[in-house]
Amino acid sequence: MPTLTINGRSMSVDAANDTPLLWAIREQLQMTGTKFGCGAGLCGACTVHVNGEAVRSCQTMVGDVAGKKITTIEGLSAKGDHPLQKAWIAEQVPQCGYCQSGQIMQAASLLAKNSNPTKEEVVAHMDGNLCRCMTYSRIQKAIMRAATEMRTASAAGNERRPT
Amino acid sequence: MNQHVKNVTPEATDLSRRSFLVGTAATGLVLGYAGVPGIGEALAAAPANFEPSVWYAIAPDGLVTVTCGKADMGQHIASTMAQIVCEELGAKWSDMRVNLASNDPKFNDPVLGAQITGGSWSTMMNFDAMSRAGAAGRMALTEGAAASMGVPAGELTVRDSMIVHAKSKKQMSFADVVKSGKATKTFTADELKAIKLKTPDQYTMIGVSVPQIDIPSKTNGTAKYGMDVMIPGMAYGAVVTPPVRYGATVKSVDYSDAKKVPGFIKAVTLDDKTQTTTGWVVAVANTYANAKKAAAALKVSYDGGPNAKLSSQSLLDEAKRLQKLDDSGQFFVKDGDPAAALGTAAKVLEAEYTTSINIHAPMEPMNATAEFKGDILHIYSGNQFATRSGAIAAGAAGIDPKFVVMHQMWLGGGFGRRLDADMMVPAVQAAKAVGKPVKVIYTRENDMTMDFSRPLTYQKVKAGVDGDGKLVALSHDVVSAWPTQRWGIPDFLSPSVDKKGPLDAFTVNGSDFFYTVPNHNVRAIKNEMAHNATPSGQLRSVAPGWTFWAVESMIDEIAAATGKDPAQFRISLLDGAGKNDGGAQRLRNTLLAAMGLAGYGTKKLPKGEGMGVACVSSQERATASWTACVAHVAVAPSGEVTVKKLTVATDVGTQVHPDNIRAQVEGAALWGLSLAMYEKATLKDGGIEQTNFDGYRPLRMSQMPEVAVAVIANGEKATGVGEPAVTVVAPAIGNAIFNASGARVRALPITAEAVKGAMKA
Ligand code: FES
Ligand code: FES
Repeated sequence: MPTLTINGRSMSVDAANDTPLLWAIREQLQMTGTKFGCGAGLCGACTVHVNGEAVRSCQTMVGDVAGKKITTIEGLSAKGDHPLQKAWIAEQVPQCGYCQSGQIMQAASLLAKNSNPTKEEVVAHMDGNLCRCMTYSRIQKAIMRAATEMRTASAAGNERRPT
Repeated sequence: MNQHVKNVTPEATDLSRRSFLVGTAATGLVLGYAGVPGIGEALAAAPANFEPSVWYAIAPDGLVTVTCGKADMGQHIASTMAQIVCEELGAKWSDMRVNLASNDPKFNDPVLGAQITGGSWSTMMNFDAMSRAGAAGRMALTEGAAASMGVPAGELTVRDSMIVHAKSKKQMSFADVVKSGKATKTFTADELKAIKLKTPDQYTMIGVSVPQIDIPSKTNGTAKYGMDVMIPGMAYGAVVTPPVRYGATVKSVDYSDAKKVPGFIKAVTLDDKTQTTTGWVVAVANTYANAKKAAAALKVSYDGGPNAKLSSQSLLDEAKRLQKLDDSGQFFVKDGDPAAALGTAAKVLEAEYTTSINIHAPMEPMNATAEFKGDILHIYSGNQFATRSGAIAAGAAGIDPKFVVMHQMWLGGGFGRRLDADMMVPAVQAAKAVGKPVKVIYTRENDMTMDFSRPLTYQKVKAGVDGDGKLVALSHDVVSAWPTQRWGIPDFLSPSVDKKGPLDAFTVNGSDFFYTVPNHNVRAIKNEMAHNATPSGQLRSVAPGWTFWAVESMIDEIAAATGKDPAQFRISLLDGAGKNDGGAQRLRNTLLAAMGLAGYGTKKLPKGEGMGVACVSSQERATASWTACVAHVAVAPSGEVTVKKLTVATDVGTQVHPDNIRAQVEGAALWGLSLAMYEKATLKDGGIEQTNFDGYRPLRMSQMPEVAVAVIANGEKATGVGEPAVTVVAPAIGNAIFNASGARVRALPITAEAVKGAMKA
């Protein structure tokens, strides 16, 4: 029985090693914020982080992530207040909302490395995430807003730091 | 006995007999239609088993929970309903909550008398009822407060959930009044009708972009979709669908390998008396991963049935054959004598327009969870048509529909796909066969190949112009599968003008445009072959998605043939004569607004670039939102088209939520672009060839042009905004391509090859 570390907690799941992580997370561990959209790596709805990298959980097998640090939308922030989540609310991004966990997780992996992305970098990073409601322009705006907030926060942090 | 079943009586759907009841129950204030069986018990019930059972309830803590009878698929209709109630009730927005209704008939649409979400009807058809419900609640609370305070009700003001008597400085919150038990007023239907609602200048909520109530839950993974339903002890079903879209039967199933899959429970060949599905098998196992493995291990052999050899080409050939026959179809419009007028016209233009099969592909693949509990079948699924879907689930179970309780969930996209109930059939039959609740999840491949698709359409348009270049005749034939006739509900069909029996107006809506054309006919021709081989559905905007492709392209062709500016030509046709009075002028104004915003005719564009216009009265003539688009494109010599900018103007009468309208219009316009340029499904050997997002390719972020939206709110009645902009984009792009390159394209989606082929050498 593989043991997975998800959102900082260790959980064992009764699934064969070749079970897609997506189904173990959603249906067995019942963390349903991660969504199934295509099962083929084509839509990004199932995006989670493995050791900080955005991966498609439908293409990741349970056996391959044992011992690695998995983060789902439920674990992105303690109170749903990651700068991206706040920006998503401020820009009123979601329509049906079904793709948005994946969008946010995908965007979070970009901002973790680059808190000042260009529009082109955003598009390149996000292009694998489909939104059938076509909320793309608001997704872009929300990413830019969150990036600004993160830069401002870290600048403020720098100022306070004793030299 | 289940309370829900008691409520299912014919009387319950007869609104005229109801009176609106406002009373306080132990836990709060319930507002809704009295005379609905069960409401009495709800009011009298103990707190523990009280369920808010009508449009809204106010709890003793002052929270107002509005029950939304509409499917919320991203249009935020639940939040909108709360906003309309909130305006008249006088509650504080942060006190508002929403709830999704079950299929209890008391949640039926007050205008439609059923639970169905589509047609961009929801806001316009519920605005009045929700406003009156809110106002009735405010009046009841005010009278209750007046009694408590010992002051005249007329001296009280209501704002932000507080009822204030300015003179004495006394005040009570909604929570206080509910707790006091003093709000007991009852309204008859006539009294409800007599309530004086606010006038737009008094609005403080309508027209304000309040934060949508559902949005936070859609940023943290807590919103529950059908896919997320968990029932203790449930098993999972994965479906095996045949290679033929419709008409196949299962000859035999070899279970031997499936039995070796751990957790495998059973495979069930569906016996679908509702004929929603044909030739399906569902593999049931303890987990979804195992159910999928078992489904893959089943060896099913099929009889492909009568449609197994058909292709897109066969459907198109059949459409052309039918169109040529004089006695095909029925007339939807018959004004004047187009045949005679075409005979004497100075110039006749003739063109064929087609659209491909299109797939809904909402991001959440179809799914349903079925559970039998005692006599009751519970269905958990996001659905747009609870009234009909409940009957299909019942049919699959072999029980009376009154024993079906539908639990509505947030919809991970609808676009018309969730008007259908196919996903419930395997869930119900699997649950019945294994004696456990079963959640059935379609793979994306199931979802795409078994879609109730937008049908392949073929349209032939003939136009006659007189010696002065005036459009005098238009003859328009529309050949398609008939998506709405498939429902088998006569009320959704329309009488034909030539009295040849009912027709499916959802295949021709839009063709009854607001241009003044003295001789005009429209024939709705059912393509029986397509109807059977590709059972079609309602895809966002339905008929106007193809009728305006033909009409708005042809209008452009006429303008070009008579040497007129296509926008000015439209304006001249929108003269508001006769039956077009009112609508034509609004559409003209909207077109002018789009032209102004886009800078149409004011900019010199580089070679290879062009602008095209289109204007539409989608959805139905009676429920039109006036929408116009200017598309700006660049066309390369290779025929490659880049859409640089879409400018969309839409007259929506009254805006309930401006920001949501912009979101909907932008989403709809991008859908229009996606259908115009990128989405194409094809039929081969009776099956849909595209199985996932590699073969069927909706718009991605990198393909998004600049979109400018102008919303016109002129104080007329609120109209729908979820669909019209879908329909205006394709013809605007086609017309822009012509303007840029001289290439006229007449088939959707538009391909570089078609553009190159149409360029003059
Ligand atoms: S579900 Fe994993 S990429 Fe679509
Ligand atoms: S919000 Fe519906 S798919 Fe993105």
